Amino acid sequence: MYIPITVDHIARVEGKGGIEIVTSDEGVKEVKLNIIEGPRFFEAITIGKKLEEALAIYPRVCSFCSAAHKLTAVEAAEKAIGFTPRPEIQDLRDLLYIGDMIESHALHLYLLVLPDYLGYSNPLAMVDKYRKEIEYAMTLKNIGSKIMDYLGSRAIHQENAILGGFGKLPTKAQFEELKKELKEALPLAEYTVELFSKLEQYEEVTDDEMVHMAVKPRNGVYGIYGDYIKVSDGFEFPVEDYKKHIVEKVVEHSFAKHSFYKGKPFMVGAISRIVNNADLLYGKAKELYTQYKDLLRYNNCFANNFAQAIELVYFIERAIDLIDDTLAKWPVKERDEVELKDGFGVSITEAPRGLLVYALEVKDGRVNYADIITPTAMNLAIMERHVRMMAEKHWQDDPEKLKLLAEMAVRAYDPCISCSVHVVRL
Amino acid sequence: MENEKVRIGFYALTSCYGCQLQFAMMDEIIQLLDKAKIECWFMLDRDSSEDREVDIAFIEGSVSTQEEVELVKKIREKAKIVVAVGSCAVHGGVQSWGKDKELSELWKTVYGDAHVKFEPKMAEPVEKYIKVDYKIYGCPPEKKDFLYALGTFLVGSWPEDIDYPVCVECRLRGNPCILIEKGEPCLGPVTVAGCDARCPGFNVACIGCRGAVGYDVAWFDSLALEFKKKGLTKEEILERMKIFNAHNPKLEEMVNKIFGEGE
Repeated sequence: MYIPITVDHIARVEGKGGIEIVTSDEGVKEVKLNIIEGPRFFEAITIGKKLEEALAIYPRVCSFCSAAHKLTAVEAAEKAIGFTPRPEIQDLRDLLYIGDMIESHALHLYLLVLPDYLGYSNPLAMVDKYRKEIEYAMTLKNIGSKIMDYLGSRAIHQENAILGGFGKLPTKAQFEELKKELKEALPLAEYTVELFSKLEQYEEVTDDEMVHMAVKPRNGVYGIYGDYIKVSDGFEFPVEDYKKHIVEKVVEHSFAKHSFYKGKPFMVGAISRIVNNADLLYGKAKELYTQYKDLLRYNNCFANNFAQAIELVYFIERAIDLIDDTLAKWPVKERDEVELKDGFGVSITEAPRGLLVYALEVKDGRVNYADIITPTAMNLAIMERHVRMMAEKHWQDDPEKLKLLAEMAVRAYDPCISCSVHVVRL
Repeated sequence: MENEKVRIGFYALTSCYGCQLQFAMMDEIIQLLDKAKIECWFMLDRDSSEDREVDIAFIEGSVSTQEEVELVKKIREKAKIVVAVGSCAVHGGVQSWGKDKELSELWKTVYGDAHVKFEPKMAEPVEKYIKVDYKIYGCPPEKKDFLYALGTFLVGSWPEDIDYPVCVECRLRGNPCILIEKGEPCLGPVTVAGCDARCPGFNVACIGCRGAVGYDVAWFDSLALEFKKKGLTKEEILERMKIFNAHNPKLEEMVNKIFGEGE
């Protein structure tokens, strides 16, 4: 008689999910990631609503990546109504998005992942012994938040990113202040890379069939926006064709769907971006990438943590460059008028945890169709496969050890479970 | 000393986790450690349990599954003070925006004919199921909302509710009036203050994320009249006011009055 190994509520992730592992004499019988977060029906509740109001609601899909949701929805909406933002506005949207990236990566690495490696149940318990690390986490998080405060109105659910641009832009002095603090934060990001280079261990999950998907960045700069998706098997497709290549299925044990590419699970996220676009990195991040190339393994989900650390360095440098570009063009006009024409638009961007899809149809100024696919919904199938691989390796070990390892595999994906729950129309 | 610490639990129902994130992101949280002991906070702590007794239970999220109905009842039994945190817990959240549609219709739109083994329900505020002692408003709440509530609880006192609208803070900041001067559908006049008129400060009309001012002083009717004069239909007005107030019992009645119905 075997008692299933269950984690009712996976800790230190965003949202509510559990793990269930059933074994028998022969080995692992069943592995499930139960997604028990309630459904929120975002697509359904915004259909028929005014476009601007729907755009105010979409970031509420998720707090850890609210700027990602806001900006991806805004781009899809602008494509639908046939509006293209000025390059200066696009730069500032990139900067706002990067604020989210920095905050989210810092929180994930230090507060959600690090305690496992140092043997703590929570980050606050680490304060006595690892005060420096916690303070670094807070400083890095704060600079990301401040970018979002200044450009987006606040760090969670930014209202100051609207069709055509921004309600109001930060002052020149505020941009200078951000730049100064970003420069001060850069060494802390580099320390993060050093720290994780010592912690990361990869022997647990080795999946040589792993396929990675990421945006092919626009203008050849490693980043967030793009018009094509790159797959690590060499295939590329335009974002408008996403439904042909990212196929979703409902599974019984989850309020979130699972996604497949060519019938198989695939991964998105920081490691997927690096696997597909490392040649576009520059500056300090490029140096660190070259130095630590061996740790950025395509076949191991745990490499996602380390990839986030490299990205922390990259995005801080990129943010400084974007501020310099903005100040060189100063004064920048905050917004252009838009006309709510009918149409359909797809935007796929790089949220902190990977590809985020928004497809919106606009008719008479209202949302006529909405489809959202989040990174975690894309990652769930492969996440489940890797928890299974972990279980197959450790099913005879102490259940507590297996539980922790399975949770760590899930945490490596930096899942946003709330995000994943509400998914698309079939 | 350990026994003297205030025992805290942070529980999530269906939400975006933004209220917890806001709480976790406060630098001040480190200072709290000497005074409080965290019994349950899954977002940060593996060693969490929903079965432990606590002095203060913070609940974020709307009640959106049958399991969550049971969970809030359990939390109430184990907690001395229950605090509903954020627009989901207090008002049912943006997911209640679809309240006018049937749950089965929403389900079909998103999941088709597929079956999931958990049982969903229409999003509802926590208060619908248990007694709530205090509410922290916002989507997400401001950090100072948390600090104020926690600070007063920790000294054995009780936080006061804000009973005036966002307009007051807008005037104090000297913002131009988005409603009067720009003609945009700003919900500042009916929305509870405390955000320092954050959005109007960015030239963005308030969408009411902190919910309606309490004590029956949210004058949906006066604002609806203003919106009506600007050419908005009853449906447009209700839609906007319901983003964060879908469960408000006074809303429809007051808006109907302006459109000559239900008198």
